[in-house]
Amino acid sequence: MQAKIRRRQILAGGAAAGGLFALPGKAPAAGGAKPLQGVTLNVSCWSAPYPLMLAKYIPEFEAQTGAQVIYTTPSFPVYNQRMDIALATRSDAYDVINVTFIYIGRWVGAGWVLPLDPYFNNPKLTPAGWDAADFLPGTTTVFKNAAGELCAIPWIADVMMAAASRYDIMQQAGFVLPDTFAQMPKMLAAVNNKDGLPGFVTENHYGWTFIGYLQGYGANIFRNPPHDLMPVLDTPEAVAAADFFCNLLRSYGPKGVLSYTYDEVAAELKQGGMIYTTENEDFVAPMAMPPSKVQKTCAFSMFPAGPAGRFPQIATHGWGIPIGSRHKDAAWQFIAWSMSKELLLRMFRDQGWSSLTRRSIIEMPEFRQKLTLNGYDVAKMYLDTVNLGEKGYMAYRTVPPYPQVDREIDIAIGNITSGQMTPKAAMAAAQKNSITQLHRAGVKL
Amino acid sequence: MTAVTWSAEQRRAFTLGLLPALIVLAAVTLGPACYLVITSLTPLTPLTPGSGLDFSTPLANYSQALLDSSFVHSVWLQLELSAITVGLQTLVGLGLALLLNIESRFMEAVRTGFLVPMVLPPIVVAIIWKVLYTPGISPLYAVLNALGIAAGSLVTDPATALPALAVADTWEWFPFTLLMVLAALQMMPKEPLEAARIDGAGAWQMFWYVRLPFIRPALTVVVLFRLIDSIKAFPLIYVITNGGPGQATEVTNYYAFIQTFNFAYWGYGSAIATMMVLGVFVLSLIVARLGGTQAVTE
Amino acid sequence: MSTAATAPRRVAIPVPVRRRRTRHWRRHAIHGAGAALLFLALLPVLWLVQMSFRPNADILNAGLIFAPTLDNYWALGSAGFPASFLNSLLASTGSTVLSLVIGVPAAFSLARYRFRANKQIAMWILVTRMAPPIAFTIPFFLAFTWLGLMDTVSGLVLIYLTFNLAMVVWTMKSFFDAVPRSLEEAAWIDGAGVWQAFLRVTLPLAAPGLAATGILCFILSWNDFFFALILTRTNAMTAPVAIVNFMQYAGWEWGKIAAAGVVVLLPVLVFTFFVRSYLVRGLMAGGVKE
Repeated sequence: MQAKIRRRQILAGGAAAGGLFALPGKAPAAGGAKPLQGVTLNVSCWSAPYPLMLAKYIPEFEAQTGAQVIYTTPSFPVYNQRMDIALATRSDAYDVINVTFIYIGRWVGAGWVLPLDPYFNNPKLTPAGWDAADFLPGTTTVFKNAAGELCAIPWIADVMMAAASRYDIMQQAGFVLPDTFAQMPKMLAAVNNKDGLPGFVTENHYGWTFIGYLQGYGANIFRNPPHDLMPVLDTPEAVAAADFFCNLLRSYGPKGVLSYTYDEVAAELKQGGMIYTTENEDFVAPMAMPPSKVQKTCAFSMFPAGPAGRFPQIATHGWGIPIGSRHKDAAWQFIAWSMSKELLLRMFRDQGWSSLTRRSIIEMPEFRQKLTLNGYDVAKMYLDTVNLGEKGYMAYRTVPPYPQVDREIDIAIGNITSGQMTPKAAMAAAQKNSITQLHRAGVKL
Repeated sequence: MTAVTWSAEQRRAFTLGLLPALIVLAAVTLGPACYLVITSLTPLTPLTPGSGLDFSTPLANYSQALLDSSFVHSVWLQLELSAITVGLQTLVGLGLALLLNIESRFMEAVRTGFLVPMVLPPIVVAIIWKVLYTPGISPLYAVLNALGIAAGSLVTDPATALPALAVADTWEWFPFTLLMVLAALQMMPKEPLEAARIDGAGAWQMFWYVRLPFIRPALTVVVLFRLIDSIKAFPLIYVITNGGPGQATEVTNYYAFIQTFNFAYWGYGSAIATMMVLGVFVLSLIVARLGGTQAVTE
Repeated sequence: MSTAATAPRRVAIPVPVRRRRTRHWRRHAIHGAGAALLFLALLPVLWLVQMSFRPNADILNAGLIFAPTLDNYWALGSAGFPASFLNSLLASTGSTVLSLVIGVPAAFSLARYRFRANKQIAMWILVTRMAPPIAFTIPFFLAFTWLGLMDTVSGLVLIYLTFNLAMVVWTMKSFFDAVPRSLEEAAWIDGAGVWQAFLRVTLPLAAPGLAATGILCFILSWNDFFFALILTRTNAMTAPVAIVNFMQYAGWEWGKIAAAGVVVLLPVLVFTFFVRSYLVRGLMAGGVKE
């Protein structure tokens, strides 16, 4: 490990993903200056699997272009807070950033990220064959600003799925993966605490994990986003959904279930630390790959349907360029490289996972086959979910003040699960506080 | 000692010595304070250009805060946290000081050891207690179970989350009260003690009627300082509970942090910060009055 | 040591401070209790330290026997810690020096000369102590953005003045109060100026206090978390903030997190050890009024 400490580290500052440091720019093999010689790019994204994997390839980018890349991947909440502050002050601290799905409305809406059309439409800046049209429309529409310009290149459309880490236990108890909410409690009651394992865990970003249940019960967050932003969190359906979801956490979750962050859940899944979950595909798919301990006992299905239908949530994140960046062209080169067909394909072949927003990759038979995890056609589940998403139920994410409402939902679920409030009281409080927040944000209701 | 008359030259020298500090202090404290108050009168947020100069509804932030149930709840939580943690710190510090009030080199070494929790970076204290409160890697739950207390995770249970933080905070700061009370005890003249002993006073009476009145000014200072500092508790909440479960540990300081730096409500956050400073000021006046003002002001 | 039964109440019998009527065993018992309580008090820290030497596979193992490893510490080298340490060092040293240079003369002036505004100044200093960090952070944050001081060590040094300067003035004043004026007066009679006398006579006598105050400044700056969290990003990130970043990066590998904690607390412990008696005096002088 010590051999890897290089001089660049003194300048790098923040945490870099394991094993990756900016190597000092190698001397060009053939003479001549490199295109980005002397440029330092600050790239940041939250710690999802694809960005973490990308870290391995960054030294190649640096060697090719002569640029120095300072790459940081903080946790989701820390990343969002820092980025929000940086963007709000039009800072030049970052050159390439992740446009987080719940902040799209805020950041794109306020004009804090550059429209990228001039870049990918310019043959001088983008290699031919890069094919900007290759990205699934379901993943790019959310990043379009009011003028229809694309403000970020999507690197993921993470879908909510259901998965079992110990399907063997479920089968022993005589159950299959539930397809509807109604089937869940019975199954969980039967498997809970078998082998000392909790039946159900999901991450504590409830503004994300709960919404599929909320909408599945026929409720919603806003009345009719993006036009009518009146929250509707206190309807009887919403209360019923909250009651159901919190009961799952409370009755079948482990001790301290409220403290489980996404990375803890992802780590636990691979260890077989719980039996069933509804979580991002990004976090459950690694169960079927090394070094997971449950490669043989994992199982996958689409997010279950509620009385009002199936509403699996989709989180689209993309690479963007802050308007304050001093190296916009170089930033685009990084984005173009990191989302190029060649690199993504290589990553997929090397590491079994990649960014999955390019149609050309998703439609490859190889993709279909590699994403057949433990016998389950996860690729199909993914595509089916993305298609479902086109119906538009994810519109709430693009609302600029959604982060504030997101937090109120987190709080409400926390209050209900810990017994501090009844579902009705908690959702009423969330409703009232959301309205307060929307007013404070200047929204006319 | 003869009285000293100050020559004009000397007076100038002292004034010059004081001036730089005053100027710098004014720049770094008065300036920002004024700016804070001014900003609190605007709805400043980066999402709305020009909001920094919008004085149309100067008290909007304040009225919003008072009507916001989250804010009011956070104030109660803050009072609760401060009461528990300052109370515990004082009791523990006082108790230990009374116990360890012996002159010996061994005791000096022991007292030095007690410095440790207080000088640790608060973030490390937060990490230590996050570890201690996480089931699975902490011996704490095993110990509690052995004592017959079946405890779930202490920091995700709303009834115990805030007290759990108070315990961590007490651990961090009791050395402060310990050292201060000890210093006061050791400055105590022996005659009243001797006299009381001769009169046949028991240990408790010695404490209550002789020692306590003497250390009361010191105790007031201690309580005051700890009270002020308890409002600032941040790393513990940031690392261990994030204001949760629900909002069970979202004290005012943390609430202000979220509003200001998660949602960029800079004007609103300024109003809350202003109210916090005023609140602490009022509290300090009350405590000082109760404890004897001469101990606090010059 | 007991006096005659007829001794009146407030007889000023000179009793040597150190002799008390404690019996031998009671003394030992108290020593033992003190040591035991100290051990209990330090147990959380010791737990963290032992965790840092555990291989990650063993973390969930409740037993105390394990094969220690330094892997967790090596992992820190690759996580940007060295850079953050440097930043912490620069910010803390810079703040200490600046606070002492500005604050010590002011403390001396306040100690020696009865300015009319003495009471107000004391009150002002107390009030600045009262403000929660967020009260300063918002204006400084906005100012730094305009001035380009965001994410710089100089910016940190500047904002650390808000707590260090007042502390220096307050603490050093009480140390200077304890140095008799007669010595300076003697120097004045010999023709020395105010500051000459200060440098030649007072300061050397107050050197222990100066050292303590300087160390306190350093420790307070090193330990700061909130200001660094908001006002730094990558270039000027200090060690406490790096730990928080590291916590997520380490994927809840507690061994590594423990190692990070140990590494960040070591400098402070070392400093504290060397100046322990001064530290205690400094703390007490800062609070307890004579």
